Amino acid sequence: MNIRKWIGGALAAATMVAGATAARAEGGTLVMLVQPEPPSLASYLSTSGPIGLMAPKIYEGLLDYDSDLQAVPSLAKSYDVSDDGKTVTFNLQKGVKWHDGEPFTSEDVKFTVLELLSKIHPRGPNSFREVESIDIPDAHTAIFNLKNPAPYMLRALSGYESPIVPKHLLEGEDYRSADLVNNPVGTGPFKFVEWKKGQYIRLDKNEDYWKEGLPKLDRIVGRFIPDASTRTAAMENGEVHYGAYGAIPNIDAVRLREMDSIGVTTDGYGMINPMSLIEFDTTEPPFDDARVRKAVSLAIDRQFLIDNIWFGYGKPATSALSSNFGATGLHDAKAANYPADQNVEAAKKLLKEAGAEDISITLDLIPYGEDWRRAGEYMKQALGDIGIKVDLRYEDVPTWLKRIYADYDFDMNVNYFYQLPDPVLGVHRHYGTDQIRQGTHFVNSSRYSNPKLDALLVKGAQEPDAKKRAAIYSDVQKILGADKPVANLFEMNFLTVFDSSLKDHDTSALGAYGSFDQAYFDK
Amino acid sequence: MSRTARRLRYVFKRLLQALPIVLAIVIVNFFLLHMAEGDAVDVLAGEAGSATPEYMAELRAKFGLDQPLPVQLLVYLKNVFSFDLGYSFRHEMPVLDLVLDRFWPTLLLMVSTILLAVGFGIVLGLLAATGLNTWRDTLISIFALVTYATPLFWVGLMFIVIFALNLGWFPTSGMKNVAAFNDTWSWANIKDVAHHLVLPTITLSLFYLALYTRLMRASMLEQAGMDYVTTARAKGLTENRIMFVHVLRNALLPVVTMAGVQVGALIGGSVIVESVFAWPGLGMLAFEALFSRDLNLLLGIFLLSALLVVAVNLVVDIIYSSLDPRIEVG
Repeated sequence: MNIRKWIGGALAAATMVAGATAARAEGGTLVMLVQPEPPSLASYLSTSGPIGLMAPKIYEGLLDYDSDLQAVPSLAKSYDVSDDGKTVTFNLQKGVKWHDGEPFTSEDVKFTVLELLSKIHPRGPNSFREVESIDIPDAHTAIFNLKNPAPYMLRALSGYESPIVPKHLLEGEDYRSADLVNNPVGTGPFKFVEWKKGQYIRLDKNEDYWKEGLPKLDRIVGRFIPDASTRTAAMENGEVHYGAYGAIPNIDAVRLREMDSIGVTTDGYGMINPMSLIEFDTTEPPFDDARVRKAVSLAIDRQFLIDNIWFGYGKPATSALSSNFGATGLHDAKAANYPADQNVEAAKKLLKEAGAEDISITLDLIPYGEDWRRAGEYMKQALGDIGIKVDLRYEDVPTWLKRIYADYDFDMNVNYFYQLPDPVLGVHRHYGTDQIRQGTHFVNSSRYSNPKLDALLVKGAQEPDAKKRAAIYSDVQKILGADKPVANLFEMNFLTVFDSSLKDHDTSALGAYGSFDQAYFDK
Repeated sequence: MSRTARRLRYVFKRLLQALPIVLAIVIVNFFLLHMAEGDAVDVLAGEAGSATPEYMAELRAKFGLDQPLPVQLLVYLKNVFSFDLGYSFRHEMPVLDLVLDRFWPTLLLMVSTILLAVGFGIVLGLLAATGLNTWRDTLISIFALVTYATPLFWVGLMFIVIFALNLGWFPTSGMKNVAAFNDTWSWANIKDVAHHLVLPTITLSLFYLALYTRLMRASMLEQAGMDYVTTARAKGLTENRIMFVHVLRNALLPVVTMAGVQVGALIGGSVIVESVFAWPGLGMLAFEALFSRDLNLLLGIFLLSALLVVAVNLVVDIIYSSLDPRIEVG
């Protein structure tokens, strides 16, 4: 045996041994891709994606949601809504302890909701806007007193969206720079152990977890790998077991899904509902004219985008609301008023009516990956077909955010929004007059303002009756379909790529943003 | 004055000269970075999903971003002179801790790369020059040309495909097996890190290896035509002695110069290699800091790189005088 072969053999053996101890023999370390490295682990301050992957394993919410999007108990054993919809009583679990050994009580719930979520959380002020006060008659009861009924609030109580955090570690601290920001202490199935910057975050099993016999995994490690091709190679090599939210690009996922050892799913995004879209500057010509906006919407072949750039993952938008809202009756298929197919003739006709022939504009692209550039290149061609000359602009994230949401210095912007589990949480922010908030990201940058729609949005938020609520949102869809301040493109399907021996990672509607308390390796 | 005393005086003089240079670097970097649109608060709020303008203003005040630029610069300089590199508001950690934590992986990668590149470069250059215009020379020259012309990220990815995926000899990425949790100084950990170091080091060295090979070859050929070589030959020295004692020593000078200059560039080159192999070094940290507009952190990294380049250049100048006694420091 020559030397080179011998070295190769020894190294191969070493790798196999290392691989074996990593995943199999211990049976319990899940390595998941977290990309990019999160800025902190303070999920009460930020809904940043990578935080959402790690923090819900540590912090829990009052409720969780099963794969049919139905509420199931979490820190709240049960809840009760009064007949007028204005009082919601949560009965909390007993015997729950924080990871530092202190008991979890209703004080923590009151503090978290009133001091943190409804004040400094990015979406909390909206989710909890009707909460006037919280009564805590005893350590295991929290009564939310509401100004108006808020049916959507009960869909925003997951550990990802509204984590309950320990009062005794935050009270009197600066919430942004408290030790808890980087050293989270929760009630969840996994405890924070270590954050090696640039490499990984390590969570270990919470031996005192209040759910009997859970979690099944010994450990979860979140690994940071900046390069997409390397992430794919690491997944293929079995060095990582799980990657969600596009960590593995679609182009690689369609190849990996042919392998027996790897599974690919689009489940686990039902509470997120990502929708890709074009925002228009509705205050300036040419897009102050609804006909021009509609022409753009007509010129784009949505199925082409899905098939050729996203490898078939996605569904053309049918209205301003995601068809996933069909589960709660809010998506009205009859009010669906988006073009099913590209219609160049109709688009040209609209442009002619509007007197907007031979215009040239700049199209900004969301700087979240190469797919959007490809989409931009397609749109440049498609809009060229109806006589709109397009220049593409692709900048880095801070420059782009400032341009679109602070300076309003754009014509047309390709973006995607999370519509979240209820329109009040994810859709209203895009259209309400009160959501024209210069300097705030991901709100009404089109600056569309329609008093009739505003009134409907207020009614939709407060209507407890499901049928009446559906009727209101049917009208909302009709108005938005006619005016198109935003042209929705398609309902995005994010992909989760996983080691096929990993089971029950998808028991929660939150998918990758779930707690993973039941996940296990089946070897 | 003795040689040692003269050297010490020289080192001291050079360090004094370095001060205004480093200061100028800090100031230029500061203004250059502030020319970029958007700031750390925009990024934090953008990632968070949303934030009210009041909250963003509050953050800007806390980070000191609401002050006029010259004031921000003075505050920064004052901090630097008291050896305080400031605070990274993104990571909620002092910059110095972050940078030092990530400095060691970069240093490890840099040192192993330089040793490999310079070492093999010299040997290959020597082999090519001594076998001028033979198949050996041609082969080495072609190898150098190909590696020089191939983009680093592509080489890195191909190595991953071949040596990690197909052959399974090495892990794809990272600095250690994240699921193993060995103690830092345990034998298992050292082996593990060395195992992870192989592919990034070879990738990063290939480019520089080509450079040093060509430089060494040219330098050897140039020296071989010098008068002193004729003199040595006339004295009756053996060809081997002329080559390895006289020519080699002189031919090394340009290679050492180049290696010194390129330490700075290596940090830049390592951004690509660190990203491809997820190596947790300064290059990756700088890259992320740029896109999150974490300017304190970025300035800290630049300052450290500047200091490193100044120090390495000083060391190179001292090595010169050892290689060639005619060059005097002072």
